[in-house]
Amino acid sequence: MSKKIIILFFLFFSLLSYKVIASDADQVNTDSEDFNTTTVEDEIYDPFEPVNRAIFSFNNVADRIVLEPIAKGYKKLPSPLQSGISNFLSNLRAPLVVVNQLLQGQGENAVQSSGRFIVNSSVGVFGLFDVAEKIGLEEKEEDYGQTLATWGVGDGFYIVLPLFGPSNLRDTSGLILTMMTDPINAYAVSEGEAWLVPMRTAVNAVDTRSQIIDEVNALRDNSVDYYAAVRSSYYQNRKAAINNVDDSELTPLPLISIEFE
Amino acid sequence: MKLSLIIFFFIIFISKNLYSDETSEWLKREIDIILEAYKNQNLSNENRFLLIEKTINNNFAGTGIAKFVAGEAWKKSDKSTKQIYIDNFKRHLALNIASMMQGYSDQTYKLTKSKYDSKNQVTLIDMEIFSDTGSVVVTWRVKESKDRFYIIDLIVADISLVVTKRSEFNSMLKKVDNNLSKFNEVLFDQNLESYQKITE
Repeated sequence: MSKKIIILFFLFFSLLSYKVIASDADQVNTDSEDFNTTTVEDEIYDPFEPVNRAIFSFNNVADRIVLEPIAKGYKKLPSPLQSGISNFLSNLRAPLVVVNQLLQGQGENAVQSSGRFIVNSSVGVFGLFDVAEKIGLEEKEEDYGQTLATWGVGDGFYIVLPLFGPSNLRDTSGLILTMMTDPINAYAVSEGEAWLVPMRTAVNAVDTRSQIIDEVNALRDNSVDYYAAVRSSYYQNRKAAINNVDDSELTPLPLISIEFE
Repeated sequence: MKLSLIIFFFIIFISKNLYSDETSEWLKREIDIILEAYKNQNLSNENRFLLIEKTINNNFAGTGIAKFVAGEAWKKSDKSTKQIYIDNFKRHLALNIASMMQGYSDQTYKLTKSKYDSKNQVTLIDMEIFSDTGSVVVTWRVKESKDRFYIIDLIVADISLVVTKRSEFNSMLKKVDNNLSKFNEVLFDQNLESYQKITE
């Protein structure tokens, strides 16, 4: 009972604080005088930038020393094994994806994701094989951060979380909600196997990192300000996820003049 | 009257598709030049990069992108500073793309979709790159000027290269009071570091 009250209070407090902080974030505008632009947003509300930069540096070192070498080793595993692990982890996320699709009013997608979970958990041997994709049940990701955004909650300020990386106030709340409501994690804890929770998070991190080794290295090795590059990438990626953009034509179009090439 | 309208719209539809196809064919040729450079084991790292840089400079709207990402600092600067910045930026762009391609190991790709956005006069071309563990879609934004095509942006996983560069450059430019001359020094040093990594 007390846990429920804490969750309700947390949700209420989060929604209330978003209304205040999000309105500040929304007031940061691009200066229309400075250069040719369409709707590209240059400013990201980052009032704790010095602290964020310090955490970012720590994460970067942790990535170089721990995550990247493990991800490179993981990448050397046979491809079917990597795909199997990736599919298995993705299948574990499915119940919460369904919940978030329902919360966002995406009934059809929720039915499709439920179908995916049932097919992949049974025919796909506990999710190791993505059989559902082959029969036309496409994977779609939704999380609490996206749900809150759909409900009109603003980004809030930008935060770099230790080890978890770039986020913002809304998505951090989404992450906490995910941790609190994930049925697979709850089951593991109830069975006295709480160690599975951090283990799952760690394997997820390695799997995700292994898929973007070259992209991250290219960004890190060639940025004049790596922190700003990651911050911008995070916001662009989240915006597309919230808007469920499948088509890059909705990504803001920079007005590039080519008359003097 | 109805028939003429139908024919009119049909011709417009066909011409737009032909235009997109022409753009895709051009893009495929240019991508293949870069990929061939990676496949050719006889090329030294320096020569491979020079070939890639030449192809990128020929096909990207480098000057326009450089101006766009510099933002406010562009207006304040004199002609010679702008020219140094453009040269630095073009090399920076080539180093970024060459670095992204470092992990290339014979993956296959396919241009899957091409669409002309008549409002912005931009062609969007989706390229799917296949690997053993899955595929990734890269979108090219291409514009036509003076009877030839220019790439104006590259989008990977919903992240625009140009938008990211602008955010990154703006952050660094703020630190040097939007002084493009000082920024040129930072960009030059970064290019040197990136060049050493890519050619080592």
